[in-house]
Amino acid sequence: MNKQPLAITVNGHERQIFVAPYYSLLDTLRDELRLTGTKKGCDEGDCGACTVILDGKPVTSCLVLAMSAQGSDVTTVEGLATPDALHPVQQAFIERGGLQCGYCTPGLIMAAVGLLQDNPRPSAEEVKFAIGGNLCRCTGYTKVVEAILLAADRMASQC
Amino acid sequence: MLRFDFLEARNLRHAIALLQRHGNDSRVVAGSTDFLVRWRQGFWRPAAVVNLKGIASLGRISFSPRNGLRLGALATVQSVESNAHIRRRYQALATGATSFAGVQVRNLATIGGNVCNASPAGDTLPALLAFDAQCTIAGPQGTRTLPLTEFFLGPGRTALEQGEVLTQLTLPAPMPRTGSLYIKHSPRGAMDIATVGVASVVTLEEDGRTCRDARIALGAVGPTPFRATEAENLLRGRTLTPGLLGQAAQAAEAAAKPIDDVRGSAGYRRAMVEALTTRTLQHALQMASGRAVTFEEQRRLAVQTAF
Amino acid sequence: MATFKVLEQNNPRVDAWEKVTGRATYAGDVYLPGMLMCKTLGSSRSHARIVSIDTSRAQALPGVRAVITGVDFPEIRFGSGALKDRYIMARDKVYYIGEPVAAVAAEDEITAEEALALIDVQYEDLEPVVDPLTALRAGSPSVHPDLESYEGYGFTIEGGNICTLLDADRGDVEQAFQDADHVFEDTFRSQGINQGFLEPMACVANVEANGRLTVWASTQGPYQVRAQLASVLDMPLSNIKVIPMELGGGFGAKLRLAFEAFPSLLSMKTGSPVKLINNREEVFTQNGPRHPVTNYLKTGVNKDGTIVSREAYTIFDVGAYLGAGPNSGIGHGLGAYDIPNFRLRSYAAYTNKVYVGSYRASGVADMTFAVESHMDMIAHNLGMDPLDFRLKNAIKEGDTAVNGSRVPRNGLFECLAAVKERLGLPRELPEGHGVGIALCEWRSGTGPSTASISVNEDGTVSLLTGSVDISGSDTSLASIAAESLGIAMDQVIVARRDTDLAPFTGPSGGSRIVYSQGKAVELAAEDARNKLLALAADRLGVPQDALACADGSVYVQDNPPQSLTLGQLAAMSVTSRSGPIVGNASLSTLPYAPVFSAQAAEVQVDRDTGQVKLTRYVQCQDVGVAINPMAVEGQLEGGAVQGIGRALTEDMQFDPETGAVRNPSFASYLMPLALDLPELETLLVRVPSEDGPFGARAVAEPPGFGPPAAIANAIYDAVGVRIRELPLSGERVLAALRGEGNDVAYIGDELQELKRAEGLAV
Ligand SMILES: Cc1cc2nc3c(=O)[nH]c(=O)nc-3n(C[C@H](O)[C@H](O)[C@H](O)COP(=O)(O)OP(=O)(O)OC[C@H]3O[C@@H](n4cnc5c(N)ncnc54)[C@H](O)[C@@H]3O)c2cc1C
Ligand code: FES
Ligand code: FES
Repeated sequence: MNKQPLAITVNGHERQIFVAPYYSLLDTLRDELRLTGTKKGCDEGDCGACTVILDGKPVTSCLVLAMSAQGSDVTTVEGLATPDALHPVQQAFIERGGLQCGYCTPGLIMAAVGLLQDNPRPSAEEVKFAIGGNLCRCTGYTKVVEAILLAADRMASQC
Repeated sequence: MLRFDFLEARNLRHAIALLQRHGNDSRVVAGSTDFLVRWRQGFWRPAAVVNLKGIASLGRISFSPRNGLRLGALATVQSVESNAHIRRRYQALATGATSFAGVQVRNLATIGGNVCNASPAGDTLPALLAFDAQCTIAGPQGTRTLPLTEFFLGPGRTALEQGEVLTQLTLPAPMPRTGSLYIKHSPRGAMDIATVGVASVVTLEEDGRTCRDARIALGAVGPTPFRATEAENLLRGRTLTPGLLGQAAQAAEAAAKPIDDVRGSAGYRRAMVEALTTRTLQHALQMASGRAVTFEEQRRLAVQTAF
Repeated sequence: MATFKVLEQNNPRVDAWEKVTGRATYAGDVYLPGMLMCKTLGSSRSHARIVSIDTSRAQALPGVRAVITGVDFPEIRFGSGALKDRYIMARDKVYYIGEPVAAVAAEDEITAEEALALIDVQYEDLEPVVDPLTALRAGSPSVHPDLESYEGYGFTIEGGNICTLLDADRGDVEQAFQDADHVFEDTFRSQGINQGFLEPMACVANVEANGRLTVWASTQGPYQVRAQLASVLDMPLSNIKVIPMELGGGFGAKLRLAFEAFPSLLSMKTGSPVKLINNREEVFTQNGPRHPVTNYLKTGVNKDGTIVSREAYTIFDVGAYLGAGPNSGIGHGLGAYDIPNFRLRSYAAYTNKVYVGSYRASGVADMTFAVESHMDMIAHNLGMDPLDFRLKNAIKEGDTAVNGSRVPRNGLFECLAAVKERLGLPRELPEGHGVGIALCEWRSGTGPSTASISVNEDGTVSLLTGSVDISGSDTSLASIAAESLGIAMDQVIVARRDTDLAPFTGPSGGSRIVYSQGKAVELAAEDARNKLLALAADRLGVPQDALACADGSVYVQDNPPQSLTLGQLAAMSVTSRSGPIVGNASLSTLPYAPVFSAQAAEVQVDRDTGQVKLTRYVQCQDVGVAINPMAVEGQLEGGAVQGIGRALTEDMQFDPETGAVRNPSFASYLMPLALDLPELETLLVRVPSEDGPFGARAVAEPPGFGPPAAIANAIYDAVGVRIRELPLSGERVLAALRGEGNDVAYIGDELQELKRAEGLAV
């Protein structure tokens, strides 16, 4: 089973690569594109560590066949910051202590970014619902929720 | 062999042709959320997968009072959850969808995949059954329709024949004065498989008291999700008193044939059928009587099991 | 409270930027040219002799570069303590389902997996033992029949599968029970628990051109991995370099050698770098979790509520190997109370299950569930308020702790008072709602700690320690260095370390990093400061005691403008007689410093489903001084949520026939999600410890102890049923509400046999 051609836009760059037909989007990002910021915690859809934004929606990239993302647009945690500034969600995670070991962090940040795209002014309950697919064993989530609410505040007051 | 080939279906005809060509060694994938997990666990080992996702026409959701709700098999669970028609008229389906996994999985998982996967615990299935869904199936011999009640044959087993694809689910438009709710019982508020799931639909007569129609469907308490018809029959044409709802709940419990597993004993599951049937009926009744319940409240009812 | 410039501030973590941008490098993120992938084959049998292993078909598969089995390793048993009871890979026998029997290195992961399916293992089944109570009984099948011949064997009690006994005694327990007004007995059971770290075990091993082995590891204890790896590979320790990578959670599970030996040997065989990453199922089935624990408590109490005696027996299951060692929970069998007479015993038995690992103060959460439920039950029985009953018996400064140490000053009473005030206890709640408390007790961890601080010519300092960053410990250590030297946090560079570079340090675990490692940093900073002062005294021509060190300079106290910056001093030191400025410290143990935490839960119980909803959680802990309040709160919140999972939903289930893990995934092992939790209320009390850095105490473990008992006590308050077994599932609560609970079996009678073996009169 030979590798097949895949055209995919990742963090704004169009990429033409070859991937094995059974490869997940997660393995493709990590093994083929060496974007290792996206993490594998379970490879079964249960932990959310592999969350990326696929065509505008947060998804668990371990459950996506890479070849089914032909022509798609993907944003990973590496694609959020500009050379001058972190994304407000990243900044808020730092300031509010929303991370500890950091393994769940890229996935949580991407889930938060996905939420704020659709719902710029979420309530705490809506934040918890939006990160309901993300496991974090270290933080107990309190500071994660605070960080996302802070980022929402800042982003809403910017525009 | 673990490896499989990836075949992109350009349209429905092409998909059916690919499935025919590769026979039993091939498998359809839609959202691939069940597929990839079962493949990695070693349960499914196809030589090729036929990807349906590129067939945009299969992902539509439309509603009209005459034709009811048409759900393309590739509609994602998230699109079902957020559809305004579904939230307004098919609350049990919207709550089934919102109680499902987490947002990242809902953005991938399809309603057709949930149906074809035929898990007894599938969260959209009780509502689809309770709303009398009809399946449209396309295959080498053309298209056929089948009531959803006849679609499920056992855990993971369906009435689909080799080369067939589920293309659409059709739900008749609910009558006026109808309310419905799905409640999922699970230890966690998200990312959990239902220990028990119950969907109830209640339609009242114009008097606002007599039950015109009641439909109750149960998940995770038998080899397939199913309708609790005896419980339904107790309610039709009667005034819905708390006592009667309780009797119906007991009838539903009697119909349940659960098993013991890591999520709970058969006895506990039976007890949950009774508790959740009563609750879903109570809420459906209130909604049928015109009480407005916001979607957020419905979600709290559906996923927080009790509160 | 002393005023600090750096401590007690919410400084961001030193590694935060890397982590939010996805740049932090974990072991699985290491990719080397020509790297092979390793997969392991697990045993399909619980207890069996290996008749043969045929790897020829796997070897022949294109893309496979090497296959190893147990006999490819030197025939050396190892263990985590004195007892060597285990081969790194099964040789002649398998002891549990999942035990590695072979490993493959192939060009990619899927080829390695395909090769596993081609390995043919022939087994001859032996009778397995799964239940620890059965295993302890005379006449039970034996897990390790040759145990007595193993190196390091030295158990006091012979027989069957008993592999450890921990004990502590004081006073005349029997007499005290006879004299007591009341005697209460209870048995509690807690479930199997997985540490639940998000990053699966991972490592890359590479034999370098010079023959040395480099291992990029996901570990809390790089020196422990180095030593154990050297032992199982029978090679000099100095030939191994372990590079601890960013750690995606460990909680005790990554303290020791895990699977690093497999890619290491495969790298030696192939000459290529080899990577191994566990999948989640392997984490659950192969990497030491915690097994269910049965705790039996017997307590003598006088009419006025004074506790006079306690007997506690723990029956503990270590699985196939001693793994993380005996269950230290028994040392906490008194709880946070002063009890004059006691007999504490912990029995451990071998069974045919995956061996045990450590998890955040192993065994103490189980024991706290038992002790704090038992305390509540006694209080209710005596008609006393549960909080008053605890206050009456709580241990005080000057009392003698269970380990014989004098109890130093501490914040126990302040913690209880703070929780009482926050909740307005005692408190009447509506029907179906309840409140429960738990008092938790722990100690600050010690152990070998080293630190080295060098002052750079630009005034920054480089901090080198051998401890792996867990729970933000690098940030805390940098804060301690900055506070000691009077510089800003961002002037401290925390060096990346490996076992070649950094001085030996104990593993990161057991609440020891901030307390002990932090102390070493404080002392190293003092050493550096003294050297800076000496040099400045020399250059400024004033006596050393006229100088002070703050804001990045050393200055004359009476004439601050007369000063030298740290950068200037560092530059001068390079050519000075005393040489470049490096502060060092090395220490072994610090005195006993207890840690107390009071916790309270409010719940709502659904009478129809038994489901328990946690509506409020309050905890207050004596932290001594908060090195970084945001980080401390983060530890307390995260710990409490682990405890809440233990209380309500987490449950590693083992097949009663085969000992196999029945739910080896995050889909069936249910850890709490954001949605499942109320707002956590975290309060800090600050009674400085006598010896910790700036008075700090350990932080990370106690928050996880309280939830099971606090929630069980709250359920009792809400609906009047007592659940003695974890988790406190809807199913258990409903059964109890309906009076059909299959309660935990009382084990008092089983204990007679063990007591006879101990030589006690029964
Ligand atoms: C982490 C996780 C959480 C989950 N949580 C839930 C949950 O809470 N509730 C729940 O109900 N389910 C849950 N699931 C199961 C799964 O997501 C659903 O069953 C989902 O709806 C499947 O849809 P899919 O499009 O991903 O199906 P796929 O994986 O693509 O396919 C599933 C099966 O259906 C067949 N199939 C799919 N579409 C068609 C079609 N149109 N015609 C014929 N055959 C077809 C496939 O061949 C395959 O056998 C979860 C799964 C994961 C991984
Ligand atoms: S790795 Fe994808 S959800 Fe866990
Ligand atoms: S920070 Fe460690 S898992 Fe979330």
